[in-house]
Amino acid sequence: MMDLIGTRVPRTDAETKVRGTAVYGVDHGEDGMLHAKLLRAPVPAGEILDLEVDAAARMPGVRGVFTAADAPVPRAGTVVKDQPLFASTVVRYEGEPIAGVVAETEEQARRALAAIRLEIAPLPPVGDLEQALAPGCRLVHPAWEQYECASDFPRGGNLAAEMLSDPDPAALARAFAEADLVVEGEYRAQRQYQAYIEPKSAVGRYQDGRFVVHTASQFPFNVRDQVAQFLGVRVSEVRVVGHHIGGGFGAKLDASLEPYAALFAWKVGRPVKLVNERTEDLLSCGCRENAIVRIRTALARDGSVLGRDVDVLMDNGAYSGEVPLMASLPMHVFGQVYRAGATRVRCRVVYTNTAPTGAFRGVSGVYLYFALERHMDECARRLGIDRRDFRLKNLIGDGATTLVGQVLEDAGILHEAFERVERVAPWAELTRRRGSKGMLHGVGIAAATWLTNPGPGTVTLNVDEDGTVGLISGATDNGSGAVTMGVAQIVAEELGIRPDDVIIRLPDTDAAGYDAGSQGSRTTHVVGRAALAAAAEVRQKILATAANILEADVADLELTGGTVRVKGAPARAVTLARIAAEAMRSSGPITGTGAYVTPMPAYDPGCARGLLFPVFPTPTYHVHLAEVEVDPGTGQVHVLRYVVAQEVGRAINPTGVRGQIQGGVAQGLGYALYEGLEIEGGRYRQRTLEAYRLPLAVDVPDVEILLLEHGHPAGPYGARGVAEPPIVPVAAAIGNAVADAIGRPINRLPIRPDDILETLEHRPST
Amino acid sequence: MPPHRTLLDVLRDDLRLTGTKRGCDEGECGACTVLVDGKAVDACILAALSVNGARVETVEGLAGPNGELGRLQRAFIEAGAVQCGFCTPGFLMTLTAFLRGRRSATPDEIREAIAGNICRCTGYSQIVEAVQMALATR
Repeated sequence: MMDLIGTRVPRTDAETKVRGTAVYGVDHGEDGMLHAKLLRAPVPAGEILDLEVDAAARMPGVRGVFTAADAPVPRAGTVVKDQPLFASTVVRYEGEPIAGVVAETEEQARRALAAIRLEIAPLPPVGDLEQALAPGCRLVHPAWEQYECASDFPRGGNLAAEMLSDPDPAALARAFAEADLVVEGEYRAQRQYQAYIEPKSAVGRYQDGRFVVHTASQFPFNVRDQVAQFLGVRVSEVRVVGHHIGGGFGAKLDASLEPYAALFAWKVGRPVKLVNERTEDLLSCGCRENAIVRIRTALARDGSVLGRDVDVLMDNGAYSGEVPLMASLPMHVFGQVYRAGATRVRCRVVYTNTAPTGAFRGVSGVYLYFALERHMDECARRLGIDRRDFRLKNLIGDGATTLVGQVLEDAGILHEAFERVERVAPWAELTRRRGSKGMLHGVGIAAATWLTNPGPGTVTLNVDEDGTVGLISGATDNGSGAVTMGVAQIVAEELGIRPDDVIIRLPDTDAAGYDAGSQGSRTTHVVGRAALAAAAEVRQKILATAANILEADVADLELTGGTVRVKGAPARAVTLARIAAEAMRSSGPITGTGAYVTPMPAYDPGCARGLLFPVFPTPTYHVHLAEVEVDPGTGQVHVLRYVVAQEVGRAINPTGVRGQIQGGVAQGLGYALYEGLEIEGGRYRQRTLEAYRLPLAVDVPDVEILLLEHGHPAGPYGARGVAEPPIVPVAAAIGNAVADAIGRPINRLPIRPDDILETLEHRPST
Repeated sequence: MPPHRTLLDVLRDDLRLTGTKRGCDEGECGACTVLVDGKAVDACILAALSVNGARVETVEGLAGPNGELGRLQRAFIEAGAVQCGFCTPGFLMTLTAFLRGRRSATPDEIREAIAGNICRCTGYSQIVEAVQMALATR
């Protein structure tokens, strides 16, 4: 025992990062390495009339030029195989790769790129969600029926995927017929760019008949699988080697440049590196999808919700990544915080001529909760009931059943979270406050239930002869501290060593067992559990070897401070180093392996069609409160105060937990107030970090954090997922606070000063 | 030296000093911040030729002669100011210039000082606290 759990141990990679010696994906280089650049589509839609690469191939330093003719398979994809490596006859989004040039230097590759002759006849882009579904709209994929699809769900034409749940239409009709009041709302959200500071990159090499890819990936095994798909080879023929990740937030879960690096390296017989320039990174990134959410709610005068009809449109972009899975998210969001009576949910994922959208921290939840919570405020206002009281009246409790039939045993924690916020930020008092010097004052509150991703993971521990413990895992630390704090601390605690003596190998799919990646807050919970099992095996071997050396009974031994001692006889002790060395001669090297996957909670498979993401395992509960001032002259929003109550199970490292909450709220503030990729004619208006406004140090307040620690029985030391959900209710809380301040609904994200001024000028006052 | 080459190109590609990061290549994110004659600048938009004869400091030079970490580096570790760490070298250089000859700073002054550096992970609070911690250990 080291009493490390719950303490502020520094992350194990902090020192190499402050020295500038940490090697990130983009820093990796190899001997004889070539450099590649991609020719990307300059228009969002069009027919490729001519592509002439011979002149480029003859340019100085050029070692190869590749096009769709070189792609081993026509199309690949996780859910639907709809995406080619290179566009060949048609272009489906601006930034889509059309050709690649490999040269001795980046500069030579860039020059050769300019020598490629490309002729495109532009087509009017399918750029808008509603337009895409209108009758007669041109299809982004006319051949959609021929595409291979991994699961069975409703789709067709520009409808990439549909999720539909309408379990009791008669009850729903009755609810609306009997309602005292029906409230309708439409809520819109723009795309959000993950804007990690390290642009995407990859280095490929073909060696010993296999493809080796170096990359800073959140999910190396997924990259391995996708590279194999694009190259038409078995997954075992691809090795992915991880590096330090300069931020990902979901965007580095899927393969991006990796298949190109692998293909080019194979073709030219030398290592090849690709690095995105910032604008191509932004244009091609799987951003958070833009969406439209429409909600109708049937209410009784006493504030009971009798029924609800929810209709969601999500932008898939030109190709299906994982957004068809996200179509299930409304089924969770609209039934796991507030009771909603009879409920119908339809979600349609739509193909457009825009970059494929993808995972961003708090997938879809950020705008679904924004819509729900803005709608809750509107319902309360129309009913003449206090907004917080209305929420508490409809808040679910322990044992609630969600719309998918999952039982949330401990959802009563939501009530406790409201109460904890109330104690530090009394609602009645805050909502009475007025703004300073002509400023408009507003308060918003929002709640959320979120999940801990259940995907499998493994850990192998090796005790080295110097008494350190090597940790081999496919788990990645994209900055969260989940591995370098959480898992390291768990191993150190279990084995009685210093966290610094846990030596973490960066992931390598050839060395580590499968891991489901840094997503959905899963690492500390799932990989931590695997680490507990691995540590238990190692511990047992350490004690058995030590018992032989010390001629003592295992039951009389304790493992702490890097030594095994006989309890009550401190002189009789042996170091871990000596135990490891002794084991080489007696029982063999000391090693242990653990594996874990979260058991899937029960649900009702008949509740919906197209439910590809059916449950929310290991739930966490959240209440956020925002206090803002709005300047009616400029439309500027100042966040005066931000309070978070969050259920974390157990804070393994309070410094790390705080960093995740503070950082998640900052990204949420960006989403609520500044960030947005506006689409105009199929093209993004914001194309650089100068135009894409990110939150700065002067914009973000210190978040007041209230931790709830109801240990989860399956979690290591009770830990649940922590890192993803702090972003989830932020736009909801801020949106409600701004609407409260200006006295008018504001239902579109981001909420920019111009929108506020326009709302103040044109909309009738409430 | 070709005139179009930037100080960042020379640092990263010629001198292999990869501690200085390339984030945006347009002087917006601050990840490439280095000190030229003591002043914090974005190396990605500075012609290498323009610093001929100047003293250039990078993150690799922050540790002491025997490799011991500086107080600001130690404070970053302790305060939890490092997450992914890609922006960290830039912040360290901006703040090194800011702290020179300074005995104290308010949180607002620190926030103003780092308003030209983007951190996407931390939400900035623990960076501000690291600076206060470094000032306190002076």
